[in-house]
Amino acid sequence: MTQLQQPATTGPGTESPAPSVGQLTFQWAAGPAIPVLSVAIALVIGAVFVLLSGNDPVAAYSALVQGAFGTPYDITETLVSAIPLVLTGLAVAVAFRTGLFNIGAQGQLLVGALAAGWAGAQFATLPGFLLMPIVILLGITGGAFYGGIVGLLKALRGVNEVITTIMLNYTIVFVMHWLLQAGPMTAQNAFGTPASTPIGAGARLPVIIPNELVLFSRLHAGIFLAALAVVVFWFLLWRTPLGYQLRAVGLGARAAAQAGIDPALHMVLVMAIAGGFAGLGGMIEVSGVFGRVYDGFSSSYGFDAIAVALLGKNSPLGIVFAALLFGAFVHGGAYMQSHAGISSNLVAIIQAFVLFVIAAETLVRSLTRRRHGRKPVEAIA
Amino acid sequence: MTWEMLVGASVLAATLRLATPIALAALGGTMSERSGVVNIALEGSMLVGCFFGVVVADRSHNIWLALAAALLAGLLLAALHAYASITLRADQIVSGMALNILALGLTTYLDYEMYGTTGTPSDLVAVPDLHLTFLNGIPYVGTAIGDQNWIVWVGLLLVAALQVFLFRTVLGLRWRAVGEHPRAAETVGVNVRRMRYAAVLASGALAALGGAYLSLGVAHSFTDGMTGGRGFIGLAAMIFGRWTPVGALGASLIFGYGNALSTSLQGATVGGVRLPVQLLGTLPYILTILAVAGFVGRSRAPAADGLPYETEGHA
Amino acid sequence: MKRILAFSLLAATIVASCASTSTGTPQASGSSPTGQHLKIGLVTDIGGLNDKSFNSLADQGRQQAQAQLLVVTSVTESKQQADYVPNLTKYAQDKNDLVIGVGFLMQNAIWKVATQFPNVKFAIIDGAPTDDAGAVKNLPNVANLFFKEQEAGYIVGVIAATMAKNKVGAAIHNTVCSMGGLPIPPVDRYIAGYQDAVKTVSPTTKILNGYSQDFVDQQKGIEIGKSHIAQGCDILFQVAGGSGLGYIQAAKAAGVYAIGVDADQAAVAPGTVITSALKKVDVAVFQTIRSVRLGTFKAGDNSFNATNDGIGFGTVDAIVPADAKAAATQALADIASGKITPKDTVQVK
Repeated sequence: MTQLQQPATTGPGTESPAPSVGQLTFQWAAGPAIPVLSVAIALVIGAVFVLLSGNDPVAAYSALVQGAFGTPYDITETLVSAIPLVLTGLAVAVAFRTGLFNIGAQGQLLVGALAAGWAGAQFATLPGFLLMPIVILLGITGGAFYGGIVGLLKALRGVNEVITTIMLNYTIVFVMHWLLQAGPMTAQNAFGTPASTPIGAGARLPVIIPNELVLFSRLHAGIFLAALAVVVFWFLLWRTPLGYQLRAVGLGARAAAQAGIDPALHMVLVMAIAGGFAGLGGMIEVSGVFGRVYDGFSSSYGFDAIAVALLGKNSPLGIVFAALLFGAFVHGGAYMQSHAGISSNLVAIIQAFVLFVIAAETLVRSLTRRRHGRKPVEAIA
Repeated sequence: MTWEMLVGASVLAATLRLATPIALAALGGTMSERSGVVNIALEGSMLVGCFFGVVVADRSHNIWLALAAALLAGLLLAALHAYASITLRADQIVSGMALNILALGLTTYLDYEMYGTTGTPSDLVAVPDLHLTFLNGIPYVGTAIGDQNWIVWVGLLLVAALQVFLFRTVLGLRWRAVGEHPRAAETVGVNVRRMRYAAVLASGALAALGGAYLSLGVAHSFTDGMTGGRGFIGLAAMIFGRWTPVGALGASLIFGYGNALSTSLQGATVGGVRLPVQLLGTLPYILTILAVAGFVGRSRAPAADGLPYETEGHA
Repeated sequence: MKRILAFSLLAATIVASCASTSTGTPQASGSSPTGQHLKIGLVTDIGGLNDKSFNSLADQGRQQAQAQLLVVTSVTESKQQADYVPNLTKYAQDKNDLVIGVGFLMQNAIWKVATQFPNVKFAIIDGAPTDDAGAVKNLPNVANLFFKEQEAGYIVGVIAATMAKNKVGAAIHNTVCSMGGLPIPPVDRYIAGYQDAVKTVSPTTKILNGYSQDFVDQQKGIEIGKSHIAQGCDILFQVAGGSGLGYIQAAKAAGVYAIGVDADQAAVAPGTVITSALKKVDVAVFQTIRSVRLGTFKAGDNSFNATNDGIGFGTVDAIVPADAKAAATQALADIASGKITPKDTVQVK
């Protein structure tokens, strides 16, 4: 597990060292058929499960699609569900790209949320043009700090990041319980709901769809932050010397040393960057959706993110598409349960098959009669 | 805070109980990764082990059948992982994640369909505790190990046996060779593919034994998601223990001790200040990080860990 | 991944109570003439349908209504806190007559959606509509369904104290215990009532309390249980959902007694579970649906307590002596008549 050279190099989207946006689009769209076909196969397997459970697969899937995209409201809700997954997906992917397995996006997101929630409440009276940058900065810094610990322990003491990220995920859950139930951040709430003090108006990300267009939409300005983060991810990794160095570290200490890079420093840096993405995701949920931090508000963004990153082949656009797919599962799945009577656990089962079939892409490749020309070890350009 | 709270016999007994499922998962992970296959579906194998053990215990009223079903369920889930990662050379992390999600979705779904409103029956057959009556009079030891579950002892035996197997037998040497230099192992006549299949299947069964311990040994029932991430903690324990069975046990014990402390220290005061119960929950995790950072540090995975192996005919 | 790594969700037994003076006014239901099927939607919190606690109880109430009243019902499980608003909104958009949210985690979401759909009726279990600042804002289309769990805790506490005092059966150490999931007020109110009863009925009885720090993990509940039993506890009251099932199991393994929570848990371990502190969420859901049917829907606070059979105690095991059972019945009556007002803050932490 330590080396993990390979997980970052699983697909066509990862082989070119410096793709342009155009190339990336092309690659993901052309490398292509594979993810799309995988989803299709997974849906067929899912249909069998739905049948076995005594339900009608056609009704189930049409409810799923209708639930996710049936009305303008649903489309905006699917987007709302996808936003945190994009950010945590980037957090996992940037680490994968540099050869690290970041299971800790969940914890990093929570720390970012707590930091942003603290600042948003602490300086609630500040005007938006001052407060918003502070809150964004603290969200990113909080996540970066929590991710940075992982990099630091790895650089200084060689502690495997899988251990630290798992342990830190749990640690923050209990710290959060304390902070929001009986600690310094706990607000007086109706009937003891464990949560922090509401953030100031200047810290709220506004809803960007007017009611005249889509009634009661929650789609907030966080979507621009997410889009910006995707661009930053691409630019950082493929358009800066630092990005080149980070990817070199990902290919192993020796390659990095040859390129004159200090691997220790870069481990810290990359985990801080990863944490920053996830922390921003936490900040966006607090500022865009809740207006405060609720205890345990996220139980799975950071874990779904691993699936999102891998499904998206760690490429910027791939992650966006994968997050949208998962967002659609989340929002459409609820409708599928209420309208087709399909257990929400069947949605999880279908999601699992999507992932599994994508993992086993040779199976899909053989179906499409493509040759798998993947090299066992990726060369650095 | 008293010494009794920190190192009392009951704390030690709790440590052993809490470490066992994690150690079994870690043992599974060790066996798999020593052969070069990363198996993060340990959590999933544990969970299906928990569930199907209970289902068969309920239907058959035979504990041996129940245990067999638990192990078989874990093994079957691992077989999917083996097929994906060895035969299809799939991405092992993705496949493992997928199977974890599958296991959770499937067991939660079936649990609701089968036992939803009432819960699993109260009269399940279970794996009993082993009462070592000859230890009764002995202070400390009697309390610490006198009433542990059979699976705790089986787990300890497995640790010893697999340590010897991996590092003292020819087959064990081959097992590790496949994880370090599959090409070289193949040249001297080891069937890499078959060895890896065996390893992954074994890892699923070992993790499922950990699951069976939870449901059939400890809780005597099933609740959704009852493994609560122990498979992932086991993964950490495997790395912490440097991919050796004995190391994995040691790491699990440290974690189990932290967990035992978070129970025993409830209500304790330090310098007159009461420890917040929420923060006590962080103990096992922080203790593990400190232990790894302080004493263990760098650990090296088997060289071919996570790399699909392509035989000549395939490449 | 959902709950694989998803720690203790603030789900299971979470509850809230309040001083419930009725502020709402009965509201005539003009929307659905009798004889036509009403549409009812239920939204669970993140604990999901199978939490063996208030979500599953609420769903039982829904199914009972479906079977007995002229209503069409459906249910949606929420997977994350962010799902509450869209899940409630979808039901409102689909022109349901009543949308029920389970759990106080949904208070703000109910407020948001109910203000947007003033013509749809809503109900929330264990809470009231709460604005963005965290202040309660009662709405004319929202029924707040509250339970006084300290009353239920008190009644089972009377049974425990009576048995401990008289050293009945395995209860020989004059020590009783409780375990919550986390020390949050809704859980603590059960424990507060329980301790209040013990202190009142049997002042010499020793009381211990602990937390599993989790609402799912059974092994953690077992460990707290073993630790309590080692300290002499022989009656254990769980307020920790799935984790609490482990607490009961610890009692069963040691041959001592346990008390269930929320639902009647006698079947979990017959002979071990001496009774359960009941919070009749199913009754509340059923009655609220029926009130819409009958046109007697009442917005604002609806308290479910000892006076209206909203709380109570479950099946009493044969080991419980008649005097303990009688004392519990008497306590229930005294609470209903206002003679006893159980405390709602924990005394023995």
